[in-house]
Amino acid sequence: MQWIGALLLVMTSTWVGFDWSNKLSNRPKHIRQVKNALQILEAEILYSQLPLHEAFSVIASQIPSPTSKFFDYLYEELQHDKRDLFYVWEQAIEVLTKYSSIGSNEQEILKQFGRTLGQHDFHQQQKHIQLTLSHLERELEEARDHHLKYGKMAKSLGVLCGLFVVLLLL
Amino acid sequence: MEEIIRLFPNGLQASIQKKIAGRWNELQEIRCRLNRPIEIILNSANEWCTAITLTKQDFTYMVNQLSEFSLYRMEDELREGYITIEGGHRIGIAGKVNTIQGIVKAIQYITFLNIRVAKEKVGCADKLMSYIFQGDYLNTLFVGAPQTGKTTLLRDTARQIATGWKQITAKKVGIVDERSEIAGSIKGVPQHNVGNRTDVMDACPKAEGMMMMIRSMSPEVLVVDEIGSQKDVQALLEAINAGVIIISTIHGNSLEELRKRPSLYQLFDQHVFQRFILLDRKLDPGQINTVYNEYGEIISKVMEDRPHAMDWGTSSRHDKHMGRI
Repeated sequence: MQWIGALLLVMTSTWVGFDWSNKLSNRPKHIRQVKNALQILEAEILYSQLPLHEAFSVIASQIPSPTSKFFDYLYEELQHDKRDLFYVWEQAIEVLTKYSSIGSNEQEILKQFGRTLGQHDFHQQQKHIQLTLSHLERELEEARDHHLKYGKMAKSLGVLCGLFVVLLLL
Repeated sequence: MEEIIRLFPNGLQASIQKKIAGRWNELQEIRCRLNRPIEIILNSANEWCTAITLTKQDFTYMVNQLSEFSLYRMEDELREGYITIEGGHRIGIAGKVNTIQGIVKAIQYITFLNIRVAKEKVGCADKLMSYIFQGDYLNTLFVGAPQTGKTTLLRDTARQIATGWKQITAKKVGIVDERSEIAGSIKGVPQHNVGNRTDVMDACPKAEGMMMMIRSMSPEVLVVDEIGSQKDVQALLEAINAGVIIISTIHGNSLEELRKRPSLYQLFDQHVFQRFILLDRKLDPGQINTVYNEYGEIISKVMEDRPHAMDWGTSSRHDKHMGRI
């Protein structure tokens, strides 16, 4: 009986460790996706001159999940509720946070960007996109560092923590 | 009028609806000014929505609604100073203008909006058709001050020509719609009924558009709005010499006034237009005051009290003369 309990404990802590490490490795990936999406958005705004909700649907079809969920949500919401873009944008960021590993810094950057979206002419809009991209680049660097630093450690730490607690209790 | 009401913030919609109260037919303009109440202009009077004072947020909301949250797409519109929305209504915008080397780049702070309600009055040109048709359509110029219904008449004239009326068969009509006012197109699709055989060149400069139309769409009748500049007149003369019939409008109060404008001198000198239709501000919008022929002679004049003083020869105002042409 004791052994089953010990096994469960080790398994849980290992899983927690792996999940943590997963988050660390996914974060740069997802930031990169968001960056790609913004680059497409820039192209759609500058060259195709699409209105935002159409641009969102284009991006959603070109970007892998989970970032596509963000743009899908924006597109769907703007289809039938045309009241406030920033409100919908904030909601969409929550959806994105739920499904992806982006951190609070990235959320804040995206939120700031949402305030400027669609309020300026081409030139300024492009500047805002560039600014957001450079902010995201900085976060990407940091996320990559974190992954390298803590990625492996997180996994082993999970297993070891489990073992440690088991040893203590035995 | 859903497409107009939806521009306003939710909180204001109800009170505007209440103010207009089913008088949508009479409504000409809704004027919005920052930190001031909304003004409503009806055919006969203007009223104020004193209950509503527009704030900056309201304006941001309305501009977002107009641009579908994509202000960057409105570069042309912000330079020209107006936006056409669904239903062919036009929103005039004013505020702080940005210039680059003295040329208007865009309106940056939008603080005045003027929602001009499009009046598509199908059939308003009925009375007029017989004046401008004698075996073939005549080159016609609608003359009137702003808000006298020139464009409305022009649109219906185009529709009638392109669809045919009474026994007269439809003609190919080309509309060069520089200010998107005649057809009220959105993405090239006319929002108004402009007839079966009509092609529309939307948002195209008149002078170029007329030649483009003639080259590409071979119209029999060319409809353009608000000629005025030297370039327009040149293109017009060219088009007429290409064998196309021109129907157009111009701002002005009287024929004499137009004669004095140097850019129009050539038009009068060559008697290009065979019919001038004068619209009067004192009458209801779209009411024809006087019809002149190419020599400036009056063919028909509205006289409310003495309808029998009409010149029967060209008039179709009386039932028994209907369709005699």
